[in-house]
Amino acid sequence: MQRAEFESQLNELKDAAERSLTGVSGLEDLQSWEREYIGSKGSLTLMFRALGGLDSADRPEAGRLLNQVKQSLTATFENRETELKAGATAARLVSEAVDVTLPGRQPQTGNAHPVSLMIDELSEIFALMGFQTVFGPEVETGRYNFDLLNIPSDHPARDVWDTIIMDTLSEEIVLRTHTSPMQARVMEESKPPVRVIVPGRVYRYEAQDASHEWMFHQLEGLAVDSNIRMSDLKGVLQELARQLFGPTRRIRFRCDFFPFVEPGVDFAVDCAICNGKGCRVCKQSGWLEMGGAGMVHPRVLAGVGIDPEVYTGFAFGLGIERLLMMRYGISDIRAFAGNDLRFLSEFAALTV
Amino acid sequence: MNVPLKWLNDFVDPDVSVKDLAHRLTMAGLEVEKIEEIGNDWDHVYVGKVLGVSPHPDADRLVLADVEAGKHHLTVVTGAPNIAAGQTVALALAGANLIDGHSDSGQKKVLKPTKMRGVMSEGMVCSEKELGLSDEHEGIMVLDDNAPIGLPLQEYLGDSVLEFEITPNLAHNFSMHGVAREVSALYDIPITVPTGADLATLPAGNQNLVVIENTDLCPRYAATVCEGIEVGPSPAWLARRLQNAGVRPINNVVDVTNYVMLETGQPLHAFDRDMLEGGRIVVRTARAGEMIETLDHIERKLDPDRLVIADASKPVGLAGVMGGVSSEVTDTTTEVLLEGANFNMKSVRHTSRALKLRTDASARYERGVDPNLVAEGMARAIALLLLICPNARVTAFADVYPEPLQPTTLTMRTSRFEQVLGISIPMTEIIDVLGRLGFDAETNADSSQLNVTVPTWRKDVSIPDDIVEEVARVVGYDTLPSTLPWGQTAPVKRDPVYQLRRHVRDAAAAAGGFEAVTYVTDSETDVDAFRGRERGSAGLIVDVPVERMLRIINPMQSGRNLLRVSLIPSLLEPLGANLKHTSAARLFECARLYVPNGPDELPAEVEAIGFVIAGERESLSVYGRGGELDFFDIKGMIEHVLQRAGIPDLTFEPAIDPALHPGRTASVSSGGTKLGILGELLPDVASAFGIDDVRVAVAEISLTAVLASLPSGRRDVPVQRYLPVRQDFAIIVDEATPAGDVERTLLDAGRPLASSADLFDIFRGEQIGEGKKSLAYRVTFIAPDRTLTDDDLVKFRKRIEKNLKQQVGGALRV
Ligand SMILES: [Zn+2]
Repeated sequence: MQRAEFESQLNELKDAAERSLTGVSGLEDLQSWEREYIGSKGSLTLMFRALGGLDSADRPEAGRLLNQVKQSLTATFENRETELKAGATAARLVSEAVDVTLPGRQPQTGNAHPVSLMIDELSEIFALMGFQTVFGPEVETGRYNFDLLNIPSDHPARDVWDTIIMDTLSEEIVLRTHTSPMQARVMEESKPPVRVIVPGRVYRYEAQDASHEWMFHQLEGLAVDSNIRMSDLKGVLQELARQLFGPTRRIRFRCDFFPFVEPGVDFAVDCAICNGKGCRVCKQSGWLEMGGAGMVHPRVLAGVGIDPEVYTGFAFGLGIERLLMMRYGISDIRAFAGNDLRFLSEFAALTV
Repeated sequence: MNVPLKWLNDFVDPDVSVKDLAHRLTMAGLEVEKIEEIGNDWDHVYVGKVLGVSPHPDADRLVLADVEAGKHHLTVVTGAPNIAAGQTVALALAGANLIDGHSDSGQKKVLKPTKMRGVMSEGMVCSEKELGLSDEHEGIMVLDDNAPIGLPLQEYLGDSVLEFEITPNLAHNFSMHGVAREVSALYDIPITVPTGADLATLPAGNQNLVVIENTDLCPRYAATVCEGIEVGPSPAWLARRLQNAGVRPINNVVDVTNYVMLETGQPLHAFDRDMLEGGRIVVRTARAGEMIETLDHIERKLDPDRLVIADASKPVGLAGVMGGVSSEVTDTTTEVLLEGANFNMKSVRHTSRALKLRTDASARYERGVDPNLVAEGMARAIALLLLICPNARVTAFADVYPEPLQPTTLTMRTSRFEQVLGISIPMTEIIDVLGRLGFDAETNADSSQLNVTVPTWRKDVSIPDDIVEEVARVVGYDTLPSTLPWGQTAPVKRDPVYQLRRHVRDAAAAAGGFEAVTYVTDSETDVDAFRGRERGSAGLIVDVPVERMLRIINPMQSGRNLLRVSLIPSLLEPLGANLKHTSAARLFECARLYVPNGPDELPAEVEAIGFVIAGERESLSVYGRGGELDFFDIKGMIEHVLQRAGIPDLTFEPAIDPALHPGRTASVSSGGTKLGILGELLPDVASAFGIDDVRVAVAEISLTAVLASLPSGRRDVPVQRYLPVRQDFAIIVDEATPAGDVERTLLDAGRPLASSADLFDIFRGEQIGEGKKSLAYRVTFIAPDRTLTDDDLVKFRKRIEKNLKQQVGGALRV
């Protein structure tokens, strides 16, 4: 082949390719175009073979021209490809439009019981104050549930804990009426300093109504050391109240009687709803009762072999359900063991 | 205990609002539960005088009363049978809002002038019921003669009643005097105690008038014989006070005993002396076979150790609890024997409990009454009796008190106050406060010790910290600062069970479960329904026959007297309840199973998690594929939960359980340790729990076992740097071959590079022959040090092919 013939073929091919490309409207057509012209078996690629038929003197120039055409066609192709791809994507996006107000696909998930969430939260708060979370038996001996807590049999105080009693041969075994038996168990196990909290189920022989359940959850707290004072009890409970109900809450002690503490108090937090001014929730008193507390009775300390002259301690007890009722305005304690999904799922959104 | 403020004011008058008083007492430990205002709704009601009564011209049953109250003077038409000229009465004028005497519901009505049989009635003379004082509506209420005519009734009869909760330690506050002593101490104001008779001047009786056989159960017994008694209604003021304090007036003699008990805290009892054989008292234990009819008209058989009050021959009262009918004071009584005694609190408590009989007297004795109080009570009772029965006179008085109780002394470090409370209170203030409460206190020479004399009425004070509390509650806990404990902290330890419980709980919730909290008791019927009557194990994962389950003597829910050994029955109840209003429910609970040990030992408390699921797999939606929750849903939850808990290798094997579907039940284990059971409930078991026409899948896992199976320490699991290679295998096996066996064979043969084998298709059809199934697995291979090649895979493929043939009779499908 002559060089002139080669060049005119090349130009024709270039013109044809360029013409053809302007007619391409889709990515599929573009692929055919690519195969036809610049693919491995395309017409332009075949032209490279034709180079060999030229005079050796003409080859460099013809090769240069051929490469130039190839580059030019490739560039045009790539531009066209980019253009078409963008168009195709845009078209696909348009066609894929959905009604965004349709409901989302729901994963099937559940959540923990509010009592568990509250116990976790309390455990975390107390951990920051150096208290460990421990657990104890729910079925207890009279010795731990009463005797070691300075509640001897025949003492009228024993009536306060209306007790669910197990059928046994001779040993007095009961469903624990409070988490306090763990006070004695913990102090028997470890010497001061002691700082623990004990959450768990407790049981009372008590008729059910909106504010009474025969099974509920308590959280016991105990700190024993050589320098524990009642003001420390107040500080710890105030910290608790602030973590649970807001940074400006205050704690109030009221003299009360529990056989295993002396002095004994019940403690209340000022109502967060009315800021202590009095409202329906706090029954106009401005205060919400949280639990009982006091300094560990010297007889309880002595009973587990701790010298009450050297060591002092404080203990407190909280009702978990009661805390939840206070915090979320739940009016009926029976909801907690009611296990209605409409109630349980209310706590899916609660963050600790 | 109800304390009418006017009665309290006889002793002390702090001159503060009733709200302030109630608050102060409450904070100091004497909790006021309620304040009842009597008479604050008595607008337009006055103390009036009946000037005259004349017949109604047109009605036999009605009369016209001419009543005057200060500037008001009007005619009232009334049918009251007891109205008479000269009476002092409660006169209601138009506009008064009073309870309708004819209504049973206590409805109120505003009074308007009304024509009655032609005569205009301009007001009303009130009954007790109309004023809300009692249910009495037979006649009008007649006031004491000295009531000031024209005074608003509220000012004359109105009162505020403080209702107290008396904690067991506060026996000494169980009276007007006790509360008054408290008020006096809190407000630092003087107290006036009403005067009684001078006991020293009373004539001594016959030596045998009182004999105590058991001085340990009855440390003191005083008796006063009084003649010339005329039994009748009490004066209005006394009856009124009793009513305001919540005690029903009976007759003047009984009312005086009750009045004095409320005022002083000393229980008293009056016998009709003519009905006492020998006219005397013997305090002794009951004899075999003795009976007594108590004042509530119940004939009671007496145990031999029961302390009784007897006359010369028979029991006439249950000591400290209730008197007997035979010697009851009646209208015909003229001579009474007044008992003022002290009884052992445990003895009274036993009697009261055994006979299920609680009275105002027993409530006081059970808490412990000061034996020295007998004198105050008796003196006051005699004075009142003589005041009310002008013709009465004391003919004999005996006081048997062999060992008079002396005050005790307590010695304590003065530094104890600060050691316990965390604040420093000046010693002069401490001594002053204690003095106001009736304690004598003084320091030793170097002020290092405080010696405190404890009055006999303070049985509750026995240790130094009791004294600390007395001071703190009067000084006020508001003075305590808030501090935080300092010093050493306890060694740090996290509870492994709690950690695990949190992990499985969160995983169960993430897998769709809602955590439930259910009661820990089952009835025998529940156990039968769940386990069948074959009497195997009552538990699913613990082996406890129903006969061995722990039993409650006094269950809260009738029949539910067994401590559970499986969580499933108690979870089925809320499952059924929820399915009534929702299309699916997935519940789980983390709680304990109570596995009995010896008969007098505490049970083992096994930590468990139970699951019950039933209903639609997905909630109704435009995307839902639907389907019913079944075995594989619960299996997926269990796999998810146990993997999240950190159990590395789970093995599921077919299992048999009497409550579960014979073909859809599996045990789950790890490393040879059984962790739990899962399966679908038999339809008739579900039905017995009220769940019909839906599959119920359940599972129970022992967290105690899970904890024991957890690998110690964390495993080092580096992120693989080389890409995994995946290859699919279709394996034809007999229909009966468990997929789990095929999977295990695949993974074993692919060791050590096969990391997982995921079943993605099951095919049955002619092409592979009858009784066969083809299981398609995608196996993932990965090497820690290189990218695997085709040669590696060929090697594995050969081994897999060989092992499948040998171990499960399977063949690779090509
Ligand atoms: Zn409030």
